[in-house]
Amino acid sequence: MSEPALLELNNISKFYGNILALTGVTTSVNAGEVTCILGDNGAGKSTLIKIIAGAHQQSEGTLLVEGEEVMFDSPRDALARGIATVYQDLAVVPLMSVWRNFFLGSEPTKRFGPFKWIDKARASSIAKEEMAKMGIDIRDTEQAVGTLSGGERQSVAISRAAYFGAKVLLLDEPTSALGVKQSGVVLKYILEARNRGLGVIFITHNPNHAWPVGDRFLILNLGRSMGNFAKEEITRDELILMMAGGAELEELTRELETASPGDENLAHLAEEFAEELEQLEERTEHDD
Amino acid sequence: MTTAILQPDLSDERLAYRGPIQRLLIKPEIGGLIGAVTIWVFFWAVTVPFGTAGGTANFMDVAASLGIMAVAVALLMIGGEFDLSAGAMTGATGILVILLVKDIGGAGLNLWIALPLSFVMALGIGWFNGTLVERTSLPSFIVTLGAFFVLKGAKLGFAKLFLGTIQVGRIDEGGGHAFWVNIFGAVWTRNDHIFNSRDTVYVGLLVAGGVAMLLGLLELTYRRRQTFSPRGLPVLVLGAAVGVVGLVALHTTDGTGANWLFSILVAFGVLIGALGVGQWRYETNPSRGSLQLPTNVSRLIAIGTFFVALGVVFGLVLDSASSDDIFLLLTEQGLRAILFVFLSICGLVTLVIAAALARKVSDLSGSAVLAYAAVVVVVLAFIVQSEAGAPKFRTEFFAALLLAALVMATWAVVGVFFDKRRASHESADRLGRLLAIAGAAAVFVGVVVRLLFTKDTELPTLVGLTQFRISILWFLGVAAVATWVLGSTRFGGWTFAVGGNKAASRQVGVPAARTKTQLFMIVSAAAWLVGMLLAFRLNTVQASTGDGKEFEYIIAAVVGGNLLTGGYGSAFGAAVGAIIMAMSFQGIPFAGWNSDWRFLFLGVILLLAVLANNYIRKTAEEAS
Repeated sequence: MSEPALLELNNISKFYGNILALTGVTTSVNAGEVTCILGDNGAGKSTLIKIIAGAHQQSEGTLLVEGEEVMFDSPRDALARGIATVYQDLAVVPLMSVWRNFFLGSEPTKRFGPFKWIDKARASSIAKEEMAKMGIDIRDTEQAVGTLSGGERQSVAISRAAYFGAKVLLLDEPTSALGVKQSGVVLKYILEARNRGLGVIFITHNPNHAWPVGDRFLILNLGRSMGNFAKEEITRDELILMMAGGAELEELTRELETASPGDENLAHLAEEFAEELEQLEERTEHDD
Repeated sequence: MTTAILQPDLSDERLAYRGPIQRLLIKPEIGGLIGAVTIWVFFWAVTVPFGTAGGTANFMDVAASLGIMAVAVALLMIGGEFDLSAGAMTGATGILVILLVKDIGGAGLNLWIALPLSFVMALGIGWFNGTLVERTSLPSFIVTLGAFFVLKGAKLGFAKLFLGTIQVGRIDEGGGHAFWVNIFGAVWTRNDHIFNSRDTVYVGLLVAGGVAMLLGLLELTYRRRQTFSPRGLPVLVLGAAVGVVGLVALHTTDGTGANWLFSILVAFGVLIGALGVGQWRYETNPSRGSLQLPTNVSRLIAIGTFFVALGVVFGLVLDSASSDDIFLLLTEQGLRAILFVFLSICGLVTLVIAAALARKVSDLSGSAVLAYAAVVVVVLAFIVQSEAGAPKFRTEFFAALLLAALVMATWAVVGVFFDKRRASHESADRLGRLLAIAGAAAVFVGVVVRLLFTKDTELPTLVGLTQFRISILWFLGVAAVATWVLGSTRFGGWTFAVGGNKAASRQVGVPAARTKTQLFMIVSAAAWLVGMLLAFRLNTVQASTGDGKEFEYIIAAVVGGNLLTGGYGSAFGAAVGAIIMAMSFQGIPFAGWNSDWRFLFLGVILLLAVLANNYIRKTAEEAS
């Protein structure tokens, strides 16, 4: 590799007391690429996000930003190194206008003597411009963010991060609360950010969202890395199977069967699981 | 496969354009503003002092000490916190200063030292409240409830300990009192300001302001032509000329016949002028639609008409001259006024809502309903003129109703002929806003002129002494500064942010804890100011002063459209809320009603205001 990756994780582990939250996770993000981190609930995604975002520190392993080893003390540290996090539910203040949200915390000001006030016209036009670069035409930047659709709300946060000099965008489950169409909108913004040369870390539990946009996939399960694949090393169905946790699905099926001698509903569910599993495995073998 | 995902259809995610009236209606303070005007009109109708300078000075003085606190409390509420110690703090700061300056039983300091010292101590209380709330993450409700009891106890305890009484006086023992009493206790008496052409100036400003506002509203509402059509200009000039001639004639002639003739002339002038402006600047309406009334609209029309008719019936049946008490509460003429005013306003509001709904069906239908409402207003005006006892109804109120009808009729006619704007237009928006604001300012100045000056002929009828206290000036200043801070500074933006979504604002680098602590300090600074206004006015402060007032501040803030949950509201709204409460407090005794009822009245106002705010915001948001 000629140039070091924007962000590289080497064997990252995190212990909370004697609990192993994360063990030996390795992956990387390059400029103009999307790395997807996939995992079910409790897979260790949040722990990993917090380490990258600087909210927590890893217990073992190294974090490299542009080839340089770092240890973030706070989210501010991470932000200063160009890593901006967009949390699913904490992205914006819904009752505030678009431009206020865009510039919140870093408002441009004018000053006259001791008086300092926000340069509204400038803030408003920059916000409009930056949103347009993401492909969103905001007619009125005075409108409250709460009146935007879920996808557009995420996009306000994404374009804000990009404008304030982020190199790596860390998106925490940006599609999980959205409908099919809205998720599509967000995926479009992810590609838009990628095309502008940002490295994107896209955290999700939905392989169908990850596959079309991802260049690299890290799959987590119970705090362990199930693999770190470039797109050409893995197929869509393998990804889905790994995500569904093939082994666990099998076990669940067995449990349902044994636990439900009398219960027709449960037995039926078990059958369906078994069928699903079979189909998935078949398709995976076929792909190989 | 991916291409399908990459090209989502964005068209249905666009927001529809909001017209100027809708944009106005979703502002937080609008419900309070409408309420303030309604209550003012109501008390103006049923009492003598309302509408005079003396009555205004009276309720504005009450509004001042309430409003300074309400504005500060509103800021804190927008920031997502409460301060229950705010009321007790007003008394505590007053007592503190007096204890600092008193020679016997006090520290004997000069006011030049005592005032800054007490100010810093007040800020300290705010800082303590804020820091405790932030450090412990306990609800501010509990923390400041504790602070409230501490302050209440301290006031009593220290007053008794040092002075042996709960009457803490006197502040004029402090050095420098002669200077500071001008800052906090000045009184401006205005009985001798004679200005006999007052009404000419007043009416002139009102007309000019009204015309500017109407033009501004047209500019904000209608779609501009690509190139202006000069054909409209002669029509505009004709309309303006007719209107001016009518006005001048109205002003200079006397007699019912002449009044009639020239009123109609003015009305025609306004209508022709408005059409001229439309012809000149705006596109013609491509689809007027046909006249049709869906059932919900016709039902609303029926209900509205019924309410107005019921109000009229009560107005005719009840005796206008009877001052017999009803339920020990109010006189028969009071009841008559209440029922008449209340029912007619309800009916008219229903009719206007019906017009707005009908406009969704077609422009012609909307205008027809609005025109009907205008006719109802005209009918009401004549009933008022023939039935009312007091001359102010037969003249001023009559004229105001006819003017309102004229505006409604104009709006109805213009709405049929010209096309509404569906997108923002920068220069039109700017011009429209400028005209509307200038017009409102002219009307405001006109009202102030009307209130501040006296005519020779009015001298014998003046009620009481007209004294404007400096607290009113402080109130207006605090409200203005707070509005500016909230709307235009980083701190203001952060206030909304920490109240709306604290985690998100912290995430993007807003110093949330510091912002909240500063908000608590603003409340205690305001409490200090009110404490000084009280101490310099009364000279002696009771130990119980301010206790229990904190809920009045919160009510004023809520009436003014501030959300209890934070993140939304306005300082201006809180000021309006305080004025509403002050008007009710003062209006009830002015009206000759038993003032024991005032808290009942207050509760009803609070509920009505919250319901109205909620309803207005929802309908305005849905209507877009």
